[in-house]
Amino acid sequence: MVEKKVRCPNCGKIITCSGNPGEVVKITCPECNAVGKVTFEKLSLLEDAAIEVSHLKKVYGDLVAVDDISFSVRKGEIFAFLGPNGAGKTTTVEMVESIRQPTAGDIKILGRDIQASFDEMKEKIGVLPQEFLSFERLTVRETLVYFSSLFQNHADIDSIIVSMDLKTSENMLYKNLSGGLKQRVGVAIALVNDPEIIFLDEPTTGLDPKARREVWEVIAGLRNRGKTVFLTTHYMEEAEYLADHIAIIHKGKIIAEGSLDELINKYGDESILRIKNCKSKGTVGVLRSHGFEAKTEGNGDVAVRIDYKERILEILSILKHECVDYDTIDIRRSNLEEIFLKLTGARLSEGAA
Amino acid sequence: MNLKFIKTDLILGVRSWLRSKGTVFWTILFPVLLIMIFGAIFSDAGNIEYDLVVQDLDNSEFSEDFVGILRNISVLNIIEIDSDEDITEYMLDEDKSVALQIPEDFSETLQSYFVDTNASVNLMFYVDPSEQTTTGVIKSIVSSVLYEYNMGFTQGKTVVGLDEEKTFGEDFTYIDFFVPGMIGFTIMTSMIYGSIERNTKYRKDGILRKLLTMPVTRVEWIFSKMLFMLFLSFISTFVIMLVGIIAWGLNIQINIFFFIIIICTSFMFSGLGMIIGRFVKEEETADMAGGAITFPMMFLAGTFFPLDQMPDFLQSVAQVLPLYYVNEGLRNAMIHADLDKTLFFTGFVVAFAFIFFIAGVFLTKWKED
Repeated sequence: MVEKKVRCPNCGKIITCSGNPGEVVKITCPECNAVGKVTFEKLSLLEDAAIEVSHLKKVYGDLVAVDDISFSVRKGEIFAFLGPNGAGKTTTVEMVESIRQPTAGDIKILGRDIQASFDEMKEKIGVLPQEFLSFERLTVRETLVYFSSLFQNHADIDSIIVSMDLKTSENMLYKNLSGGLKQRVGVAIALVNDPEIIFLDEPTTGLDPKARREVWEVIAGLRNRGKTVFLTTHYMEEAEYLADHIAIIHKGKIIAEGSLDELINKYGDESILRIKNCKSKGTVGVLRSHGFEAKTEGNGDVAVRIDYKERILEILSILKHECVDYDTIDIRRSNLEEIFLKLTGARLSEGAA
Repeated sequence: MNLKFIKTDLILGVRSWLRSKGTVFWTILFPVLLIMIFGAIFSDAGNIEYDLVVQDLDNSEFSEDFVGILRNISVLNIIEIDSDEDITEYMLDEDKSVALQIPEDFSETLQSYFVDTNASVNLMFYVDPSEQTTTGVIKSIVSSVLYEYNMGFTQGKTVVGLDEEKTFGEDFTYIDFFVPGMIGFTIMTSMIYGSIERNTKYRKDGILRKLLTMPVTRVEWIFSKMLFMLFLSFISTFVIMLVGIIAWGLNIQINIFFFIIIICTSFMFSGLGMIIGRFVKEEETADMAGGAITFPMMFLAGTFFPLDQMPDFLQSVAQVLPLYYVNEGLRNAMIHADLDKTLFFTGFVVAFAFIFFIAGVFLTKWKED
């Protein structure tokens, strides 16, 4: 229950009333008997939330594209929405950007309902749509000037060009740019109004590994400038490299959410320490005698399951003490691909089932 | 209204357009090229001249008089051949498409008319079926001559004095006819393809989705694009007229109806492009849909040839094509200075513009389902 004080518009008396967040309460003025309504604002899930989505749903005929999902994005973090093609990522982000109309659910951006304040919010968000291509026959600088002219609030074009590493190509026509440069220009366009929140929908799809890395550096730089980034991707490496917080979506539902470490700790298998080309016989027995789960693999490697990181030092100490002869040590922990496989039975890269 | 955006959009739109050699070619150079080609084909000091082979098998005073009348028509170049020559072989050898043969009993029949009003004689036409346009024109000229000639006989008057102007039709050259049609055709293609690009390519490239998240309204966007399209319409109109005047001595007049038709035509075909772009999502398909509408309209709406040279059913088809009203409106406003007809056709153009543009604006959709 929340208390709220309102002034009677009829007689001016201050009335105290109470209600639940999101509730509309009917009140009667004890002084003049005037009747009115008081709306109690919904509470933010997070104090520092840039985006709050609750019970969001999108239905196309019989197809439920997004199925009652809720999540929050903190200010200043990179939030990755990870899932295979067709999982509902773009539908979700486009509903948050107000490009698509939700079937049900609430979306708040910077504490304001997006439906009610979208025109105002346009000045505070920057968007790179999926598979975006700009005007072919404008130069990079002209493109930025063009989009900048739409806003009241402008960032400095020169500093955007420098920060996006576009100085050498600022006078090139957009159509002559490489795929990576085009995506960097796309991100630059999303920055022309100096937005607080930037939506990047699959920003590296179709790029070669080198160009993808370049775009990653640009996105990582946004976090350093205090921007909130909402990123959709089907590349688990992208989410692992960039995201502070990851939500994995599958068939319209969020199936796991948290930081990379949280997801691995919660859903991943224990890490495996692999003693490569172990030449000393009896190593497996020695390790087992110390309580480790160890086995010899076909290629001569010895694999040891480790449940917490302190045990790595213990293993190394045993190997040194027992004078075990080996080539090298490899420690591998679960990744998002394995987590997705474990949770859904499908691979991220295979697309939606 | 975000005037700063509209100004930037217009300036960068023009700059972007100038950088597209293909678009500039189709908007300006292509119509200029057509004017030069068609002008060269059909303009000979303002007149058209057709070869007509004549074979007089009668060789009488009557037949010579008739041939003399034909000679007086300046659009006809009469080539007389001997009576013992094979007329069809001559046509084939000399590459002539039309020939007229005066039969042996021509004078005899005419003389017998005074005692027997049922007497008749048929001139024989030899035509090359692959040259339908030329043969159609010559046949209509000779038919007119025959009409006058027969009138003279039935009323007892001389057949001399066939009026060249009446025979050939109205007193304007082909280029005068062609330039207004070219203006209408050029505006049509620029507007339809421009609208299609905005509504299909921009949708595919995510530009419309991007704009939806930016502080610009659909009306502001369409308004600024229409300013740019009007700029294109007037630029291409100006260039077409300039080339027509300089190269072919085009004789036209500019009045308020001319401007109304140009502006309304731009809105009309932009609206039509928006409608196409709404229903045909794929860029390539939309281009084909644009072609499917513009090409038949180009030929059927009297852009290149007068409608009365076409079969009756095609003339009926033309009556439902918007470009027909644009072409005829421009011709009447710019060439004939016929106020009644200008008002009639301008009214249709305004009505078409209103319907298509309003429908196009309502059907243009940015927001996804």
